[in-house]
Amino acid sequence: MTVIPIPKKPRAAFNPNRPVSSLLKTQVLHLREVEKLFPPAYRPEIYINTIKTEGEAAEYIRSVTQALHRLHREGAGERVGPIAAAAERKPARKTRQKSKPKPKSKKLSKTGKKKKRS
Amino acid sequence: MPAGLDNLKHIVVLMMENRSFDHMLGGLKAQDPRIDGLTGNETNPDINNVAVRVQPQALYQSQLDPDPDHHFPAVDLQIFNNSNPRVANMQGFVKSYFNQLRDSNHSQKIMYYFKPDKLSILSTLAREFAVFNGWFSSIPGPTICNRAFAHYGTSFGQVSMDVFVIKPPYKSIYERMVNATPKHSAKIYYYDDASSTMEIVNLFQHQPELFGTYEQFISDCENGSLPEYSFIEPNYNDHPGDSGAIIASDQHPDHHVQEGERFIASVYNAIRDNPSLWRTTALLVVYDEHGGIYDHVVPPACTPDGFSASANDTGTGMEFKFDRLGVRVPAILVSPWVPKGTVVKGPYEPGGRTFEHASIPATVTKFFLGDAQRSPREKQADTFLDLLTLDTMRTDAPEFEEQ
Repeated sequence: MTVIPIPKKPRAAFNPNRPVSSLLKTQVLHLREVEKLFPPAYRPEIYINTIKTEGEAAEYIRSVTQALHRLHREGAGERVGPIAAAAERKPARKTRQKSKPKPKSKKLSKTGKKKKRS
Repeated sequence: MPAGLDNLKHIVVLMMENRSFDHMLGGLKAQDPRIDGLTGNETNPDINNVAVRVQPQALYQSQLDPDPDHHFPAVDLQIFNNSNPRVANMQGFVKSYFNQLRDSNHSQKIMYYFKPDKLSILSTLAREFAVFNGWFSSIPGPTICNRAFAHYGTSFGQVSMDVFVIKPPYKSIYERMVNATPKHSAKIYYYDDASSTMEIVNLFQHQPELFGTYEQFISDCENGSLPEYSFIEPNYNDHPGDSGAIIASDQHPDHHVQEGERFIASVYNAIRDNPSLWRTTALLVVYDEHGGIYDHVVPPACTPDGFSASANDTGTGMEFKFDRLGVRVPAILVSPWVPKGTVVKGPYEPGGRTFEHASIPATVTKFFLGDAQRSPREKQADTFLDLLTLDTMRTDAPEFEEQ
């Protein structure tokens, strides 16, 4: 059986001050789309246009990721509205609106009733 | 059914970032001519039409800075080199990289590749298990749309990094698994909360319960509670952690390639160290796209996806019908039921096969579910579990040990 040594950790490579790549910028932007729909108390106090380095991006990514998990754990996940799926859901809403009176508010059905049941 | 398939209970996919086949594994051709790597004579013209030869001078870090462009128009240049008539010739890599710094010397680094001994983990896995000569990224473009093919079997018409919109009837492989009757298990493991996932807007936002951390993956491997299907994301950024500095392990330029090697070894060891899991698991190590780095194999045509990207969206002035694959990437299938030294022939070899990221949900669906609503690309995608051909489990699989 062959035994291969695992390379040593390249500790000198650690550089949280490295400028963010386009991949990380994209990840931050996608998380920002999610964060926009959080209740105010769950939003991190980080403005994404101030994020220039990997370390700063990581802090924001951690904040939004943890907030999203917390929201779902606390049963408030349903308050995190649909984002990218909006285009998918728009037709569904229109269909529903045809059969239901228009004034039915999204907020009423999402927060009030469901929360009481849980 | 081969014994390996009889025993198979888990499929694990580790998707790394942005390195081409030739860059990472091309040097293996010198050791095994069946591997469709580099002869050393491959060239690309520079901006002055001087031939730039491939060289085994790739470094772990600080060479591919700035990050080579791998958005759709740049990859189009890399593949077609503005040829007229338009022919895919893989001759535009140096010119594409030159466009970023306007530095002729620097642009030559896009042709550099690793000697196998510099990538001891990846090279060992390739030599010991099954390496694919013909695994291609799904789109000649960047990360998000390519990763979408691994999750959904399509990118729903997206060729960029923008948020994409799920379009019925197609569902992610995770939703297919957990909503099936009988129910199956599936999970995406991201590294930690500070790295998180690239599948944010569609899956993570709505179904965070489908996600776990890498620490949970390790624990699930130890406890024998690994889901039937697992998809692992590496660490995408450098950040401080509880136990000190956490270095990006995704191998995305300009992240340190050796930390990625360590991560691949860690995933392998987590499975290998649990004998029951090792016997029942197939691990695929694959890269999402080539990251703008040279590869010599022309991406083949493929079944159109049923979607199209407009000339405006592609940025090339031409519509794209998802009828051509992206640049080739490293892919290795690891299992004790795979014969040592398997080389899966590519599309230009007699009896060759073509794989792409839609092969991932296609394989998982075929094995666990039988069938599902799938994109035309996924329906046509080749699957890879037939490579588990051995009747008797191997006992000679390599071990990776911390120094």
